[in-house]
Amino acid sequence: MSDWVALTLRSPIERALDLSAVRADAFATLATRELEALPVRYGGDAAVLGDFFAVTGERAARVRVTGDLERAEGLGTGMTGGELVIEGNVGRDVGLELAGGSVDVHGDAGANAGGARPGAARGAVGGELVIRGSAGEEAGTALRRGLVVVMGDAGRGAGRGMIAGTVIVGGQAGPGSGRFLKRGSIVALGAIEPPETFRRACTYRPPHLRVQLRYLKRRYALPLTDSHIDGRYDRYSGDFAELGKGEILHWVGE
Amino acid sequence: MKINGVTIEDTFAEAFTMRAARIVITAKDARWAREAGLKLTGFATSVIGCKCEAGIERVLAAEETPDGRPGIAVLLLTMDEESLPQRLIERLGQTVLTCPTTSCFDGLPDVPDRLPVGKALRTFGDGFQASKVIGGRRYWRIPVMEGEFVIEETFGMQTAVGGGNFLLLGNDADTTLAAAESAVAAMEPLPGVILPFPGGVVRSGSKVGGQRYKKMIATTNDAFAPTLRAVTASALPQGVNSVLEIVIDGLDAASVARAMAVGIRAACRRGVQAVTAGNYGGKLGPHHFHLHKILDGAA
Repeated sequence: MSDWVALTLRSPIERALDLSAVRADAFATLATRELEALPVRYGGDAAVLGDFFAVTGERAARVRVTGDLERAEGLGTGMTGGELVIEGNVGRDVGLELAGGSVDVHGDAGANAGGARPGAARGAVGGELVIRGSAGEEAGTALRRGLVVVMGDAGRGAGRGMIAGTVIVGGQAGPGSGRFLKRGSIVALGAIEPPETFRRACTYRPPHLRVQLRYLKRRYALPLTDSHIDGRYDRYSGDFAELGKGEILHWVGE
Repeated sequence: MKINGVTIEDTFAEAFTMRAARIVITAKDARWAREAGLKLTGFATSVIGCKCEAGIERVLAAEETPDGRPGIAVLLLTMDEESLPQRLIERLGQTVLTCPTTSCFDGLPDVPDRLPVGKALRTFGDGFQASKVIGGRRYWRIPVMEGEFVIEETFGMQTAVGGGNFLLLGNDADTTLAAAESAVAAMEPLPGVILPFPGGVVRSGSKVGGQRYKKMIATTNDAFAPTLRAVTASALPQGVNSVLEIVIDGLDAASVARAMAVGIRAACRRGVQAVTAGNYGGKLGPHHFHLHKILDGAA
């Protein structure tokens, strides 16, 4: 047993690499050889994790992945616990159907981060996905519970069809963010255009955000300022094309 | 034993096992946190008539609280675990929920026994409330006219000790009160304890039951009432003309013992003849704080 399992990419990835087997909870019981033998798919072909990564450490629920992973997909899929740290950019579907633990991306993420499978009624049901860079389209799609943080810009449709939970966007939130929101919160620290089917409620200082943003600053050392933590937010209720029990909280300053 | 010429009687304080919660209240500034705390802990001196005992444990700096605002920590104790959640729901709902700018957090997050206090109070939101899970703890956001009130879903409950005490036997009322004030000032900064009576001081210590009024739960402690020296079996030495008691509740026996020792030492000053303690012969309460032992640091 070691404190961490480290996966270091041996050479650049040329094709899409499905790494949905890389999840911190599953690593907690696996020896190094078993980790190296985990199945992956490379451009649709069967392969094993050890073909691409040097594996050090074993039987730990804390996993660090290093390398250019822009073509790596599905890391942390369905993870129920543990800590997965990705040092660099990562491809689509990171934290897909996340259920617990934390996924911390020290770079940009592709589309559908913390999202749902195609046609699925719900996406992530728990845990924390933190993307320190920007995210592609539909981050936090159909989120049922849990937290998705994008410190940079989020692409089109962030939090689309959310059922509950929280999506926080530090930069610009793309068009259609929050559309078909049933419940849950989208916290926009940068620019956002609430859908037409949202209604503005008020400007206030949400007390729970003081707790939430301070927690994120402490836990992940995110660059959140006192003006975000104590600031004023416009509250929009919606989406009234759905239940209308969700909200967009848009930071408007100190 | 003598401290500064004050006799410490060889006796013990008898205290009871209670149940306690620690409530952390934050607000826009220290003034509003204190306002909420004062209301929350009002009329909570003794379980005999108030159903609970409560007090402000300490003032919290902004960096000590979950939301980074000034706050206070309150301890609230009851005699049994069934009544603690009810007292919390009543009092938090009427005093902290109503107080401008406050938020309310559990101060015993690592305690396994959980009371669904915020979960009960959420219904004030009439269906408009919403919850957030932050760092594994659930909070309720209750919409109110001011904006939103945030309260943690559950509060920890742990066993505690109620009724630690000592009595100051003084030459006159003024010097006895001054000694009591010194004791309170020394004990107030200590963590894990509260002094639930007004200003931390009791002038009307009681005995169990009554001689004349048989249905009374508690009546005046005539043995320590100076005006009754000539008509009752007085416990007062000659020259004692006033007695004040200090009652200490705490999260554990060690905290109560430490506070008693600090308080007694601070109270031993000119004009105090003796320090004693209240007990029931050791038959009612499981916690016995022997004055000599706690002052020797042995208890």
